Amino acid sequence: MYTLRDLDADVIVLHGPSGCCFGPARLLEKEGVKIVTTAMSEDELIFGGERKLSATLRKVDELFNPKLIGVVGTCASMIIGEDLRRAAAEAGVIKKAICCSIHSASGDNTLGAVAVLKEAMEAGLVSREEYSRQKHALEMAALLERTRGTARAEYIPGSPGDDPAAVGSLILRTLEGGGEVACVLNAKKETAFLYADLFLALADAGFGKSGSVHFVANLDPKIGLPRIRSYSEKILQELSARGIEVEVITGGLDEYPISGERAREVLFDIRPDLAIISGIPHAVAVEGKLRTVAVSAGRRAASNLKSLGYDYVVNEEGAHSASLGNRRICKSILGESIRGLAGGTQ
Amino acid sequence: MRSVAIYGKGGIGKSTLASNIAAALGEMNLKTLLVGCDPKADSTTNILGRRVTPLLEVMRSNKNPPVESFLFRGVFGVYGVEVGGPEPGVGCAGRGLIVGIGHLLGKLDIGSFDFVIFDVPADILCGGLAIVVKEGYAESVLIVTSDEFMSIYAANNICLGLSSLKAPSCGIVYNKATPRGKRYVEEFSKRVGIPIIGSLPYSEELRWADKLRKTVIELSPNSGISHLVKSISLSLLRMEDGKIPDPLSARELEEIFQLLTAESRTCGCSDESS
Repeated sequence: MYTLRDLDADVIVLHGPSGCCFGPARLLEKEGVKIVTTAMSEDELIFGGERKLSATLRKVDELFNPKLIGVVGTCASMIIGEDLRRAAAEAGVIKKAICCSIHSASGDNTLGAVAVLKEAMEAGLVSREEYSRQKHALEMAALLERTRGTARAEYIPGSPGDDPAAVGSLILRTLEGGGEVACVLNAKKETAFLYADLFLALADAGFGKSGSVHFVANLDPKIGLPRIRSYSEKILQELSARGIEVEVITGGLDEYPISGERAREVLFDIRPDLAIISGIPHAVAVEGKLRTVAVSAGRRAASNLKSLGYDYVVNEEGAHSASLGNRRICKSILGESIRGLAGGTQ
Repeated sequence: MRSVAIYGKGGIGKSTLASNIAAALGEMNLKTLLVGCDPKADSTTNILGRRVTPLLEVMRSNKNPPVESFLFRGVFGVYGVEVGGPEPGVGCAGRGLIVGIGHLLGKLDIGSFDFVIFDVPADILCGGLAIVVKEGYAESVLIVTSDEFMSIYAANNICLGLSSLKAPSCGIVYNKATPRGKRYVEEFSKRVGIPIIGSLPYSEELRWADKLRKTVIELSPNSGISHLVKSISLSLLRMEDGKIPDPLSARELEEIFQLLTAESRTCGCSDESS
């Protein structure tokens, strides 16, 4: 569904029970995408729901006059073998529909994204090269999650991470003591709007132009779908307006496993006294080799990063939902701690 | 109340057998219910003399339909209900059975019947189609097979399902029985440990009755085939606790046919079924 959002789908129709729509709708509608459900009932499970899907698609077409509609399966509709494309053809919207026949038991969660991109390529919305690049990045992401992410263990207990104020104090002490700090953004898509706040916070604390902070980010405005490229452009513009120039661009916002590798090389070149890595820190495998602060979202992610060996871990709880719908850099927990410790915005 | 679920390969004659057993039990003045579980909804046609609207179809417009909207009374006072299900190629028949049977048993005082027969489609293909035995709605399973390899193969699949569900079978009915094919079914019966409780030869009378949407019990109650059906019905009435079958491996199953075919060659017999 997020890939359909990236493709600028106007409406996404989830073919399944209404409960499957509830969570994604709340988050994605902040991004301006309309989320619609066919609200499959027991009757559709038994007798099939393609007619209801066709009727829903016709109604969506009338109501919203969309340019692009995403049609997405759920466990319920896919297990009973519903044909999304047939229903879209029946509704007369097949030419502007991207149908994704995938469900939650299909395997890695990146499979759905790959399936959408493949459909988009076949519809001429995405080039073969772009499809291949994104597919590779998604496969790398799935591998990364299995080897170094929270999918690497059957159960990872949650951890609150370290006290943001204590970590903020450590960062400021390092800088005030003349130490070199590398601030690495290795974020996934829209979450960059939140993690980039660390760059602004260091500038607010007076360390934006000192040369003692190396700004490294996966904000290549030439990589990715137009929507994703625009995220990079907007963030770079906002940073630039605050006098922050990113020293090294490691890649695009949709390829964090690949940009993480590049960031790792950059960090080994710089050899900073402290490396702050935000977004997907476990993609930047420098723990144990450098003194590190990992900044990511979620209690299980925090616990995982600690057990991997990152020295300090800050949990940016709710980073994803906070960054959805934003087109400007938004405040982060660690960023606000740094500002507070530095005596406010300068 | 006694209850049995009839399973067997598609087209083997389950519905014909089910409706004739129901009629035989009805003729004995037993309050009998035949529950058709096939989406085709044709199990009760011979009892009711017509096709009726299936329960799931009724439930599309009324989620809590009254009993009289889906329960019908037919020949010899036998009651019939069709659960129904989707058209071929869409939806989920197994889910339909779970929902339909659940509603049926919630609305109907099943204990008020002397005998309940569930006519279930095909072999145990999925959890939904196994619901009748899985939930213990039927106390035992009657397996219907002919002597053809694929029919016995399906019967063995049913045994596999029952073994995994720890559900008992009360017996095997050997349908379309022939003198030469008998040994295959007997050998299968011996190996899985489930007795043959009756054999029905190929019968023009049964076919004729089917065409007229009737049972042979009604049309020709004194015919040989009627007596065979009544004998099976009595066996079911008097059945003791069934037995959980010992299913055969694919190799063991093929062995039955290979061994018996080899034997017949040695003794110079020809064999149509091998």
